[in-house]
Amino acid sequence: MTADATDLSLVRRVQRGDKGAFDALVLKYQHKLVKLVMRYVRNPAEAEDIAQEAFIKAYRALPQFRGDSAFYTWLYRIAINTAKNAVVSRDRSPIEYNIDRNADESYDMQGRMKDSETPEALVLTDEIRSVVNAAIEALPEDLRTAIVLRELEGLSYEEIAAAMDCPVGTVRSRIFRAREAIDRRLREVFEGGLGRAEELG
Amino acid sequence: MNEELDSQLSAMFDDELASAECELLARRLSRDAELKARWGRYAVIAATIRAERGVRLNARVARRVSVLVGSEPTLAAHSLPRRSARRWWRPVAGAAVAAGVAAISILWLRAQAPPGGAETAAPLAAVIPSRVASPSETARPASAPAGADRYVVPPPARAAMSVVPATELANYVVAHSMFSPPVARGNLLSSFMTSESGGTVAVSAESAQDPPRDAQSNPR
Repeated sequence: MTADATDLSLVRRVQRGDKGAFDALVLKYQHKLVKLVMRYVRNPAEAEDIAQEAFIKAYRALPQFRGDSAFYTWLYRIAINTAKNAVVSRDRSPIEYNIDRNADESYDMQGRMKDSETPEALVLTDEIRSVVNAAIEALPEDLRTAIVLRELEGLSYEEIAAAMDCPVGTVRSRIFRAREAIDRRLREVFEGGLGRAEELG
Repeated sequence: MNEELDSQLSAMFDDELASAECELLARRLSRDAELKARWGRYAVIAATIRAERGVRLNARVARRVSVLVGSEPTLAAHSLPRRSARRWWRPVAGAAVAAGVAAISILWLRAQAPPGGAETAAPLAAVIPSRVASPSETARPASAPAGADRYVVPPPARAAMSVVPATELANYVVAHSMFSPPVARGNLLSSFMTSESGGTVAVSAESAQDPPRDAQSNPR
């Protein structure tokens, strides 16, 4: 087992012309990248646009990626540069001087309007959060501990095994079962609830 | 869905799957829409547990990127071998450039430096000032040519054996030294002193200490 083997195997496939493998990389990192970009821009819609641009830049630059660093580290740098450039070009854009004394308020409203262009999305986000959190709460103690140590603390299976005093295989099984239990609830939301499963795919 | 496959997918998502299995599953993941959707939900679960604030969990980034990448040209399948071949040449080219620069530097330095080299230039330089500053020679006859007292045969560099220039050649240079500028004269003398060409003769340490006849008979 090698570090970053997952990403590297997907990257190699993309480099060989398999575009579908790039989808998997984007699915894995889109939330992380949007969160990263939001350090530079506050508007979630703008952050998504920048993240999208970063992914496209990464795809185009992928033939030059040699795997010297982790894929996410490489992607991280591209996203940071894209976000910085976006902020600079936005700051250089012409300023409209015909804004009256309520400018701040109107600008803020515009920002909110842009954010609220998908109000259902925000509702869905809240619903997803509540469903996932409820599903985690409902998990047996050992499954919940394993998934939380993995996702929240970022521990490896070996470290979790040491912490929980169990074999690595058991950790793998517990994390998988925890994910399956949460995913079952999540699918109900996407398929039966708001029917937006395709937006994740 | 096969439970073993899902279990592998979960391990792969955590980067805890063996490389060989990873390769196989990556191939399937890139083609299987259902597997890909599950993979995407695993990412949602992870983002939710990490409570990534401000992130819309139904982010459409993936779908939009997928559409855009679909319109991009497919990355060339042959790009990897060509790149690795180019990579093989990089250090070789770098080494060749470095060697070239080093060779040019050495040649340039040799052209700039006196022919005698650093090893003999230092003793010669050490001898000349002491000779000039010698109090016994400060009183020089008016008829003596300027700078004639600078022509000094340096002491032997090695104790046992030493290399000195051919006597005739040294005498010639010393005799005509009044017509050459001091710097050129010094360089020429250094060259003779250290020359290892056929025109030089090896003498014992004792005889090497004796200066050439012309130099000794130089009027002061």
